[in-house]
Amino acid sequence: MLRAENIYKSFGKNEVLRGVSLRVDQGEVVAVIGPSGSGKSTLLRCLIDLERVDSGRVVVGGETLVDTEKGGYAEKSALRRVILKMGFVFQNFNLFPHFTVLGNVTQAQERVLGRTKQEAQTRAMKVLEKVGLSDKAAEYPFMLSGGQQQRVAIARALAMDPQMLLFDEPTSALDPLLTQEVLKVIKGLAEENRTMLVVTHEMAFAREVADRVVYMMEGAVIAEGRPDEVFALPQVRAFTSW
Amino acid sequence: MKYIDNPQRLAGLLGQLWQGLGITMSLFAYTLLFSLPLGLLLALARMSWHKPVRWPVQFFILVMRGTPLILQVFTVYFVLPMVFGAAFERLTAVVIAFVMNYSAYFAEIYRGGVEAVPVGQREAAHVLGFTRSQAFMHIILPQVVKRIVLPVSNEVITLVKDTALVTAVGLVELYRVARNAANAVGSIEPLFIAGAVYLIINAVVSFLFNRANEHFGYYQG
Amino acid sequence: MKRCLTLVLALAMLLSLSISAAAEEDKSLQDILDKGKLILGLDASFPPMGFVDADTGEIVGFDIDLAKEVCARLGVELVCQPIDWAAKEMELNAHHIDCIWNGMTITPERLENMSISLPYLKNDQVLVTRTADGYKTLSDLAGKKLGIQAGSSANDALDGTAEFKATLGEIIPFEENLTALMDLNQGGLDTVLVDVIVANYYMTVNSYPFTILKESLAPEEYGIGFRKGDAALCKKVNEILLAMREDGTLAKISNDWFGTDITII
Repeated sequence: MLRAENIYKSFGKNEVLRGVSLRVDQGEVVAVIGPSGSGKSTLLRCLIDLERVDSGRVVVGGETLVDTEKGGYAEKSALRRVILKMGFVFQNFNLFPHFTVLGNVTQAQERVLGRTKQEAQTRAMKVLEKVGLSDKAAEYPFMLSGGQQQRVAIARALAMDPQMLLFDEPTSALDPLLTQEVLKVIKGLAEENRTMLVVTHEMAFAREVADRVVYMMEGAVIAEGRPDEVFALPQVRAFTSW
Repeated sequence: MKYIDNPQRLAGLLGQLWQGLGITMSLFAYTLLFSLPLGLLLALARMSWHKPVRWPVQFFILVMRGTPLILQVFTVYFVLPMVFGAAFERLTAVVIAFVMNYSAYFAEIYRGGVEAVPVGQREAAHVLGFTRSQAFMHIILPQVVKRIVLPVSNEVITLVKDTALVTAVGLVELYRVARNAANAVGSIEPLFIAGAVYLIINAVVSFLFNRANEHFGYYQG
Repeated sequence: MKRCLTLVLALAMLLSLSISAAAEEDKSLQDILDKGKLILGLDASFPPMGFVDADTGEIVGFDIDLAKEVCARLGVELVCQPIDWAAKEMELNAHHIDCIWNGMTITPERLENMSISLPYLKNDQVLVTRTADGYKTLSDLAGKKLGIQAGSSANDALDGTAEFKATLGEIIPFEENLTALMDLNQGGLDTVLVDVIVANYYMTVNSYPFTILKESLAPEEYGIGFRKGDAALCKKVNEILLAMREDGTLAKISNDWFGTDITII
């Protein structure tokens, strides 16, 4: 489904990604863990063109997002097509404050996918129900708790019917109580056999839900494999023990 | 009291004040009509990636905000004709100077508003597949509008006061009408009458902007 | 003496200008005739020379009546254009107006920068006092408060009589002559230095209990200002004014406004 090969990315003098390669197969849930500064968020952002790689290759669903050896980035409409294969959930939700919850979920459907208002709203209510917030459709984001906002953000991404979902530390901005409600939703999605790539600090969650775990440190993939394998490794044990 | 007990004369004065007000209102309306959109264009140019676009605009904004408006009015009305031969009509000249000046101020207000919108908004729009112009029109701009209501209303209040500058090119606006009347009859009554009119205008403008501000309070963040 | 000197200077200027103008083709008069109108620049807040009639809203005044007559004889329309007094030279030089005709005092600087007509009215800067105070001479005003219009020629007159100026207690500037006189009336000032014409106007209009001291400061003359190079136009206007003096029109207009003929053409 998604293949990233040899990604290099620097910010100024700081080399954040050094030849990182990653694969996510259809139906897989891959968790990426590692200390702060390991480059995991940057990697995720590179996969959806929020950052531009210095070199490397990213192919999603058979279509190339970027191949620095063969022409660089895809041009505008092709690029957008690739981006739309993925749904992205931010650490800080990034909901649109000037739209209602319903509006947040329908806007992109209408404007980007060209769905009619009816279609968009129907789909929106469906995904809102899935995340358990259909009763909040008419509210504005600022009225909701952090956990509720994040669930709306997930619904917003789902409504676009992407082929896979990317999560950038989805619960890091939430307190423990609210974290659980969001993890529950993500778990539910995993159980639907969706293809998901989750960057997270929630180790228990990663252990429980992921098919594969990738451990990164200082811009490189140090280890990857099944959760029990990876979590047993000494460096990872050192990292996860508190 | 030279006006209170002379209704005909008072009516005459009010008529003149009305005309004077008309000049001020025209300047006010034309200035806003042109400078609000022009300011947006300037702001977009100012935020452009291309230096040949950005630098002249930055310079223009610097000059317009860094020199007195009265000087700009004089330049357009007295100096340009000497350089280019063509003379502008008085009100036209003042409108031109005002539009250039205020569009520079609005440009900076818009830019501040746009830059204040969190980068996450642009990122969310990007991952949802919005084009840059779609993102600007539907996601960024509406949020900018809410943020700039207050600074824009401040500029508008300033504009109401600045319109008095038309007297520099001889246009007889509200205050001048009152002053001429006062000198002609030997009493300062007309100044108070004009003052009342000025107060009413400002009250109306303030009221409208408070309503606008409340309207945008429907969401926070 | 000073008046003669000014007159001679003005005439000399005029002469030299017409000589040099003749050399360069002065089309100023022809331009006005072609245009069919003479644009008169004024600050319409200076009664009785040029001001806004409170009842009709029209611009009227002694200068306006003079100008109307001159234009009639010239065969052109008179257009009164309110201007900002401080910008009068700029308006003139930018060709937004053709003349400044608004009780303008003739001064050496102005003679340098403009073509000025024959002086047509004598003006004095006088000291207005409350009758009740009984002041009679300049020395009575020693240590007193004097009000004066900021930026007016009264200031030049005061500077010109430095000895008298030095004896004053306080000199207070005002935006308008009217407000200075109002302050005099309510006791905030002891005297106001102002054009005699203006003083008489307000004393009549408001029935102020004022007396004008016999001793005036520098006498002045009013003239009409034209662009420096417009000698032909200036010359023609002078001719018309002289004609108006001959046939008594000048005296009549003066009588209408001042009750007596105070023109000096």
